[in-house]
Amino acid sequence: MNSSNPTVQRKESDRQGQKKWYSSFTSRPEIGPFGVMLLLFLLLGYFSIPEGEFSINPFAGEGFNALGIRNNFRVIAQLGIVALGAGMLIIAGEFDLSVGSMIGFAGGCMAMILKWGFAVVIPYISFDGGFHFEGLKLFEITDVSPLMALLITLCFTLSFGWFQGWLIVKSGIASFIVTLGGLFFLRGITEVSYRAFNRAPDQTAGSTTVTELPDIKNIIIVPGHGEMERDAAKLLPNDQLLEILSKVPANTVAKLTEQLTYINEKVANNKTALAAKKMIETLEKSLAGAKKSGNDSMVDILTKKIEAGVEVPPVAAKAVTDIDIAKAYIDTIFTARPVANFFGGDIMEPVFDWLYFSVDWNVNMYGNMFAKGMYSCLMIWLLLALVCYFVLSRTQAGNWIYSTGGNLSAAQANGVPTNKVKISLFMFTAFCATMFAACQVFEVNTADTAKGNLKELEAIAAAVIGGVVLTGGFGTILGIILGTIIFGIAKEAFFYIPGIDGSFYRVFLGAVLVTAALTNENIRKRIIGSL
Amino acid sequence: MSDSKKPLIEIKDLVKRFGNFTALNGVSLDVYPGEVHALLGDNGAGKSTLIKVLAGVHPATSGSIIIDGKEGKFSTPRQATDAGIGTVYQDLALNALTSVTRNFFLGREIKKGPGAFGLMQMKEMNRITIEEMAKIGINISNPEQPVGTMSGGQRQTLAIARAIYFGAKILILDEPTSALGQKQQMEVLKTIKDVQKLGHIAIILITHNEIHARLIADRYTFLSLGEVIGSGLAEELGGDDIKRLMAGGAEIGDLRDELGA
Repeated sequence: MNSSNPTVQRKESDRQGQKKWYSSFTSRPEIGPFGVMLLLFLLLGYFSIPEGEFSINPFAGEGFNALGIRNNFRVIAQLGIVALGAGMLIIAGEFDLSVGSMIGFAGGCMAMILKWGFAVVIPYISFDGGFHFEGLKLFEITDVSPLMALLITLCFTLSFGWFQGWLIVKSGIASFIVTLGGLFFLRGITEVSYRAFNRAPDQTAGSTTVTELPDIKNIIIVPGHGEMERDAAKLLPNDQLLEILSKVPANTVAKLTEQLTYINEKVANNKTALAAKKMIETLEKSLAGAKKSGNDSMVDILTKKIEAGVEVPPVAAKAVTDIDIAKAYIDTIFTARPVANFFGGDIMEPVFDWLYFSVDWNVNMYGNMFAKGMYSCLMIWLLLALVCYFVLSRTQAGNWIYSTGGNLSAAQANGVPTNKVKISLFMFTAFCATMFAACQVFEVNTADTAKGNLKELEAIAAAVIGGVVLTGGFGTILGIILGTIIFGIAKEAFFYIPGIDGSFYRVFLGAVLVTAALTNENIRKRIIGSL
Repeated sequence: MSDSKKPLIEIKDLVKRFGNFTALNGVSLDVYPGEVHALLGDNGAGKSTLIKVLAGVHPATSGSIIIDGKEGKFSTPRQATDAGIGTVYQDLALNALTSVTRNFFLGREIKKGPGAFGLMQMKEMNRITIEEMAKIGINISNPEQPVGTMSGGQRQTLAIARAIYFGAKILILDEPTSALGQKQQMEVLKTIKDVQKLGHIAIILITHNEIHARLIADRYTFLSLGEVIGSGLAEELGGDDIKRLMAGGAEIGDLRDELGA
């Protein structure tokens, strides 16, 4: 016998390598996406710093000035809203290709209801004066509130989500096919509806857009004038503006005056600085010309002048008038349509005010405020993400979602209502698409049939980049969030890299997507088949 | 094992027909608490049908199942589970991607709050999982580890512990040692032994492996072509009897002779 006889009994656990202090970070599935996100942030930060300037602070560039942050996070948040729904559904083992069309459908539905109202009509065929359709109007609501429009739209989208889910679990047909059908069906029905409702009096087909909606989120109650749009209120005749101002409390007027004075001074200072900069530039140009022509005395004079610096007469700050104060006051009146503002308005205005007035950061080159806040969709995305995180990682429903995707028969054997789980998630993706649409419609006050195009695939890509496995059962909300940020920021980051075509961001995303899918599959296999 | 003990489950003249085909033709057997009752038989003998009838997957055509003196009629798996029959199938019904605790409580999570959106009480669930696994001899250090990182034997233990915790008085184990390595087979047999020691649980063990049966079974029932062709206490049966009955009662003689011929 030649077997070794160890004095200490070896255990199964001994075969697992010793854990390093950092392994709790590196073994998390989100570490990859987090790294890529960081890389993109740095690319965007450093490459967007204007040429000739140097900074080790990545926030010094255009990519991360107040307006950059505002716009980038709008792109990210909008995609994020649908990526959450898509990701949760993939974790449960199904996916939904109808999301993009659902966005178009929901947006159209909402905009049309807001514009023309809502009616329930029973169509019937009439032969009176030739074969044609007539409609029997059961009831009609005109002048629908934003909330009502949203709720009616949700009725449609959630029913459609339910129907797709029901069809998939009852028939066993792959969700790919059923929702691909949904993709065509919804886009088609949206287009048809636009044309039908936009039809001109002469019955020629109408356009596939809804425009000229009022700026609902900016409808305010102006004292003495009732409800009107903010911009219209600011264009009121001067005497009426002064009339409005006369009823504003004195301390509010004082505060507004102080702010306006600050702004005017800032604008004046920046104008002075800009003039000085321009003068230096002119001098430098002349210097270059003098050098070229070999005019040594001129070079000497110009060099000395540039070194000494230029003195420009300071631009005087504009005086603050009562009309300015009245307009500034109108800007501060809170919306009379909170639901529209919730979806399409801005958030964090006090923070951006503070950044402008106190931190001296949120300032554009002319001295005005750069961004007035973040888009509301950011808040909706983060709220949804928080809810999804709790549901997925802390609740019974979360455990059911993971098991439905991870091992369907095991879930069923343990009494998990897997069909209900799936149908609910199909409804949730429809809900997310509707939220996306609401943010868009109430923000820009228009809708058209192409809205949401390709969003279903982008949402799936974002989820996969964030560590979700397409076969189900694996993924986290944090990962989906990171994947969304990567997808949303890549375009912007590549735009600033000098000397390369901006479209390389697609090349990059394609490579990241496939790499992520390979990594995810590896991690999944390691968990399923280890030891 | 005195015969004065009352059986926990009595199966009497159980008949199950699928159309013209008679899968079970009057099967009777008693299982006692704290005993391992080995159910042996060749492929197609009716073992699977019997456990499916007991688990409520198929309703019986005739005959009765009496649990603790009460007649049981099962038309769904839920009814069987509620009556105290816990079935651990070969595939174990585990989700390898989630944690031990999440699997232990799958479908029966401890939660606070409204409906399916109630918050899971993870700490309590972790504690119970560790305790229940320890009761039948497996110490897991981290109940948050994915089931996929556990050995086959540990997974079997998890499924058994889960069935017991959720009220199984009669534990049906379907080929628990098949598809496992030597060491893990022993692990599972030890687990079964530990369940046996708990004393109040009746175990029905379906197996192909005569050696494993002999290591832990207290009582045997042999099935062939849907009928009981022999049964008895472990100490009454000799090795040759077991071999012969497992093969369906045919005198197959010594395998070595057969192959040599």
